[in-house]
Amino acid sequence: MEATISANIPGLVGRVIVSEGDQVSKGQTIAVINCMKTELAVISEHDGKVKQVLAKEWDEMDVGSPMIILELNEVE
Amino acid sequence: MFNKILIANRGEIARRIMRTCQEFKIKTAAIYSDADKDAFYLQEADEIYNIGPANPLKSYLNIEAIIAAVKKAGADAVHPGYGFLSENYSFAEAVVSSGVTWIGPPPDVMRAIESKCYCREIASRVNVPIIPGTIAPLGSLDELHKVIAEIGLPVFLKLDKGGGGKGIEVIQDMAQIRDVWERVLRVGMVAFGSTDCYLETQIINPRHIEVQFLSDNSGKCICLGERECSTQRKHQKIIEESLSPVVEEKERRSLYEYTRKLVVAMGYEGAGTIEFLRSDKGEFHFMEVNARLQVEHPVTEFLTGIDIVKSQLEVAAGENLSMNQEDIMLEGHAIEARIYAEDPVSFSPSPGKISKLRFPEIDSRHLRIDHAIEEGSSVSPYYDPLIAKVIVWDATRMKAIRRLEEALTAFKVEGIKTTIPLNLQILASKEYREGDFNTSLIEKLFKEEHKTV
Repeated sequence: MEATISANIPGLVGRVIVSEGDQVSKGQTIAVINCMKTELAVISEHDGKVKQVLAKEWDEMDVGSPMIILELNEVE
Repeated sequence: MFNKILIANRGEIARRIMRTCQEFKIKTAAIYSDADKDAFYLQEADEIYNIGPANPLKSYLNIEAIIAAVKKAGADAVHPGYGFLSENYSFAEAVVSSGVTWIGPPPDVMRAIESKCYCREIASRVNVPIIPGTIAPLGSLDELHKVIAEIGLPVFLKLDKGGGGKGIEVIQDMAQIRDVWERVLRVGMVAFGSTDCYLETQIINPRHIEVQFLSDNSGKCICLGERECSTQRKHQKIIEESLSPVVEEKERRSLYEYTRKLVVAMGYEGAGTIEFLRSDKGEFHFMEVNARLQVEHPVTEFLTGIDIVKSQLEVAAGENLSMNQEDIMLEGHAIEARIYAEDPVSFSPSPGKISKLRFPEIDSRHLRIDHAIEEGSSVSPYYDPLIAKVIVWDATRMKAIRRLEEALTAFKVEGIKTTIPLNLQILASKEYREGDFNTSLIEKLFKEEHKTV
């Protein structure tokens, strides 16, 4: 199963904190979006492994722009 | 005077500068990024030039692109507004070396005063009180320990070339010293390309009070009253007024004296501001120089009747200031409320489309609104959240407060959140009405509110 983590606020991508292959957990900050000079965290809503990083620094984001694709951990 | 001015900025301040240019029949060239291509205020410019994509580093902070626009426009002067490149001496130098007039202080003065240690050194040399601390940049962690042993805690460790609230950290106890030192140095390296830093003792419950001045190349320096800017959220001003409710005539004379000494010692020409902190004991300390037109300049314009942008143009054109200090009348009271596109409680940004907009009725004697928004337009997520400034004037402070409350109540913005409810909450507070507040007013109001819930 896969899940896409999308921008929750418009702005410019400040940093993407995770890389492909990284294990992330629910609640972890995976990127920072700079909106109106304020840095806001983009949080993962799932546990999983980063399959693909779609967003890069300075990309313009709208609400819902895909940023990261996660391969979800299988539920034990 | 100039034939054509390029305005190296956007939004309300670009529009504000255009207004004075139009009054003096000077042509205007505006610049815009892709994100601003549909902004209605661009129609008020004589010419417009695209300077790149939404990302400010590639547009409004892109010296090369802006200089190209200056050349294409054949402008003979550049006004930088505030923020963006307004205090960037490399930009000022690039403008001057293209044979175009820079509307601002001389680039070499800008370069020098970018160093806060240099400003502290000048101030102490001309006997202007500075915030106690160090003057020369600190050499090492050992030196930092030694100075703290002498002056005690708490202190602020500040970057010599920091700005925008970055590169300032408080040290509360000895155990934090190393961490704070390393963190501040890291920010300096990454964000400002300089790790020089200095110490200042923490002024308890300070008020932020600043003096607007104008100076020309004959050495004349005129002060236009002081502005009280203590009402801040996230270390950014939200309500400013002039005069300050706590500065007495005698203190004003000292502040003017300090300002003149600093301006002369720096060799500053043009419009600028000297910021001071006032301790709860009523002592003033020089804090920093703002080498630009400021967001809150309309407060002073409303109080004195002087068009500060016009004065900037005259000085930049090599003319002498036409007024003298004794011509400056400080009558009545002016207040400005900054309206930000933000949640009024959490201060989180609120960009988006303004679905409905209704302005209060403008009255040139009592109410001025500086803005660059219209119904149906979008507030961009890429730039500053300031969307409008509501400025009032009246005979007394209390009348001005009431007038501002009326104006803010009649100001309707839908589709995005704004700080209007916060502005009103501040104005309604006992502390604000009595003029008894400092930079922690908003924090205090929020705490009180939670107590009553």
